[in-house]
Amino acid sequence: MSRWRYFFKRLLLAVPILFSVMTFLFIILRKGPLDPVAARLGPQASGADASRLREQLGLNEPLWDQYIRFMTDLITFSGESWVTRAGQPVAEAIASTVQVTVWLGFWAILLPLFIGIPLGFYAGLRPNTIGDYVASVSGILWLAMPNFWLAVMALAILRRTRGGWFGFDWYTIGPDISSLVGQSPSLAFDSLQGVLVDIKLILPAAIILGSASMAAELRIGRTAILESINAKYVETAKAKGLKSRTIVWKHIFRNALIPLIPIITNEAFILIGGSVIVETVFSINGLGRLYFLAITQADLPLAGSIVFLFTLLIVFLNVLQDFLYTVVDPRVGVNNE
Amino acid sequence: MLSLMGGGAAASLAGCSAFLDSGGDGTTTSSGTGDVSLDASQWADQAQEAWETVVDNPGPDAQETRNEAYLDIEEAVRNSVIVLNFMHDFSERFWYDYVDVPKIGALGQSFQQLNTVELTNGDTELNRTNSTHAHVDPIESDDEASSTVITQIYEPLVTYPNGVPEMENQLIEGFELSEDQTTYTFNLKEGVQFHESGEMTADDVVYSWRRMTESENSVRANFMLSSPDGVGAVHETDDEGNVVPGSLAVEAVDDYTVELEVRNPNPAVMDVLTYTAFSIIPEGKVGDVEGYEGEVAHQDFRVTATDGTGPFEMDTFEIDNEVRLTTFEDYHDEVASVDSVHFAIIEDPEALFTYAVEQNADIFGIPTSYYDPSKIDASADDRGRDVGTYGELENGETVNYLGLPELVTRYFGFNAGNVPIEVRQAFAYVLNQQEIVDDVFAGRGVPAYSFTPPGIWPTGQDGYEEFQDSYPFSPNETDIDGAREVLESAGYTEDDPFEITCTTYVSNTYQDAAGLLRDKLSGNGVEMELEEAQFGTLVSRGYEGNLEMYSLGWGWSWESVAYGHFGFEPKNTDTSGMPADNNGYYLDWHTELSENSDS
Repeated sequence: MSRWRYFFKRLLLAVPILFSVMTFLFIILRKGPLDPVAARLGPQASGADASRLREQLGLNEPLWDQYIRFMTDLITFSGESWVTRAGQPVAEAIASTVQVTVWLGFWAILLPLFIGIPLGFYAGLRPNTIGDYVASVSGILWLAMPNFWLAVMALAILRRTRGGWFGFDWYTIGPDISSLVGQSPSLAFDSLQGVLVDIKLILPAAIILGSASMAAELRIGRTAILESINAKYVETAKAKGLKSRTIVWKHIFRNALIPLIPIITNEAFILIGGSVIVETVFSINGLGRLYFLAITQADLPLAGSIVFLFTLLIVFLNVLQDFLYTVVDPRVGVNNE
Repeated sequence: MLSLMGGGAAASLAGCSAFLDSGGDGTTTSSGTGDVSLDASQWADQAQEAWETVVDNPGPDAQETRNEAYLDIEEAVRNSVIVLNFMHDFSERFWYDYVDVPKIGALGQSFQQLNTVELTNGDTELNRTNSTHAHVDPIESDDEASSTVITQIYEPLVTYPNGVPEMENQLIEGFELSEDQTTYTFNLKEGVQFHESGEMTADDVVYSWRRMTESENSVRANFMLSSPDGVGAVHETDDEGNVVPGSLAVEAVDDYTVELEVRNPNPAVMDVLTYTAFSIIPEGKVGDVEGYEGEVAHQDFRVTATDGTGPFEMDTFEIDNEVRLTTFEDYHDEVASVDSVHFAIIEDPEALFTYAVEQNADIFGIPTSYYDPSKIDASADDRGRDVGTYGELENGETVNYLGLPELVTRYFGFNAGNVPIEVRQAFAYVLNQQEIVDDVFAGRGVPAYSFTPPGIWPTGQDGYEEFQDSYPFSPNETDIDGAREVLESAGYTEDDPFEITCTTYVSNTYQDAAGLLRDKLSGNGVEMELEEAQFGTLVSRGYEGNLEMYSLGWGWSWESVAYGHFGFEPKNTDTSGMPADNNGYYLDWHTELSENSDS
């Protein structure tokens, strides 16, 4: 089987997954206890206004028709939000929030990669030394602290730096910012200064969001190194007289990466859920918060579209994961004849 | 001819000295504790009869009859404990020293137009925070967040300036009321300019009010159509119950005169007209009224293509992120001294507090987790508001402070079909209002002994105190003996308890408040379970009638006792007719009417 046929098959497999996820969501939201009309109008609404809105949202049509309309709207990313962004086209609502979440997610994945993995490898190459203990223990501590608490603490500490309490003023280090919260990155990428401001605005949130995965990468990285370092091929390489630098980079490193790949790709999935809390505390107008509001207010079109997007993303990440495997580990998958 | 009187119903009632004997049929004692009739149908009948009296006696000369009926309803609600009122809201506002802002009144900050605010530190932009809202279309607005912004852009004919309950003209010079009290003739101000569309005339008023009743986008058409919990305007409906386009009895007599015809004399008409949905927009602006093409798409009108007569124009509107308004230079009244107003959309308490102590918000609230009552140094003013300072904040600043009771009542409601009167009264016996306010809400509330808040009590302050003194269920103490007694009379004991589920918002505070009641009744004949539900779920389960006990609040959008009491009419609480035919509270109180009870 060629590499491309393999990917094509993976993509085809994703179609029924998408389909059943969407159907499931439709059933939960339409047949569950949440009522979008009640959520939108509140307790002071009159019956006439409520039934008119019900009619307007098409909730009186047969369920089958509603289902077909829901699915068509999803696939074409059309349709309007019912409650959360009442009346706004779904595509517009998502477009206005997705950028900042991607920006947040990007840094929340990147920072741990460049901190967690090197630290893990460092600890793994020097097992049972002081450096190993420090790295491992701080990794576990970091993992143990919940995101919402970290976020609240970060705000409490950073906003007190204005008077120079801790010897620095976060507001004026690097580019100036006026507030820790509610400041959306512009993401214009038109000047270095602008990009720096955008990074600074998202940095505390990104570090906190990535904290759990940073610790996970550290620990798995350490174990992976420890396993490879005692492998036979390393001994062989040593016996061949290779420089230890070459052994580490060419043999140990690449093999230690294999168990890390699913960790990293799965992180992207965790970040989507985790971003709800961090986006709320830092008042970042992102997709996580929008999704939370939509799902709790029975905003079927909006919640559906976001889940659809998430599912697409996860399917894509799974494919990417397979692809990375084939790059890192030539034994995987493509040739099983 | 009547000139416009400020304050509407409550102001004219405040002077009413005749306190009407409570107890519609004279069977109650008001001695303090015990002996409240357990005949549930007596109370339901009393409420039904009283509401019918209110509806049948709409004229201004029948004020006393109505007041008597309002008291009967309050008494029936209290004594049958169909809802258990525990707190009126107490709202607090803080602002930095460089902000000069008028004090707000009991109707809330959403009535305050910000052109009256001055900044003495040289800043040209006033910074505030707001909750999330998806639009600024007056007829779609049903929440405080959007109406706070709408008030800056659009104006109704009359208003309560700064939310102080004294009505003033906004877009009219005055109005006349016909002999039979069913025709209102409004004389519009001349020279009022829209932001985009030139001078406001009578046709704009007719169009705006038609749009409010006819448009499919309107969520509060009932405020124009129904009575007495609305204006009760004359109109025709088609077979499906929709308003026939153009049938609303609003007419432009000439450029500056508008006539409105109501079905019955109704003292609350002018008060209702202060509601944001009655704001005036230019004729033909949006095409959701029959006969109009619409100059802008509704999709744009509701966010950025705004066009009103208010002191500010829309500049930026990013949903869930920020709103910026700029000053309208041709405003018909005092032009704002600031150049712009910025609302950051922030809801999380941690973020709100951070934003405030960074001095990014000039006027703000303090989340309960950061609130310390001992930092308040305030004294009461002539309107019963606490005025003073609060401090220091974390940033070393001492800020201005305003605290005032609002027209909001928090209660636990019971579904009469699921919870018998004995159990409901047991809850009333163990309820300690002051304890809930102090321990659960950090003192940020006013203990409630009635549904209608003291600020708009039909028989004034003395009448309210008299009603409060007659509270029969051991106010502000935990009367476990009283509860046991009434439960035993219905056969509920420790060994054979009544089981009940209390559903609250997803909120620690409401769970805590309900938890207090649970702990007191546990082992005494009632075993209670707590559950949380999202607001929308709570409401739709209310419609279905399968709530047993639930927490909700009611806020008065204008000063009118009827606007709270209509929801207690037992026949209107029949959840089987919700939401289509009935819009009462989710009580199923009709099951206790003597015409429906089996015995």
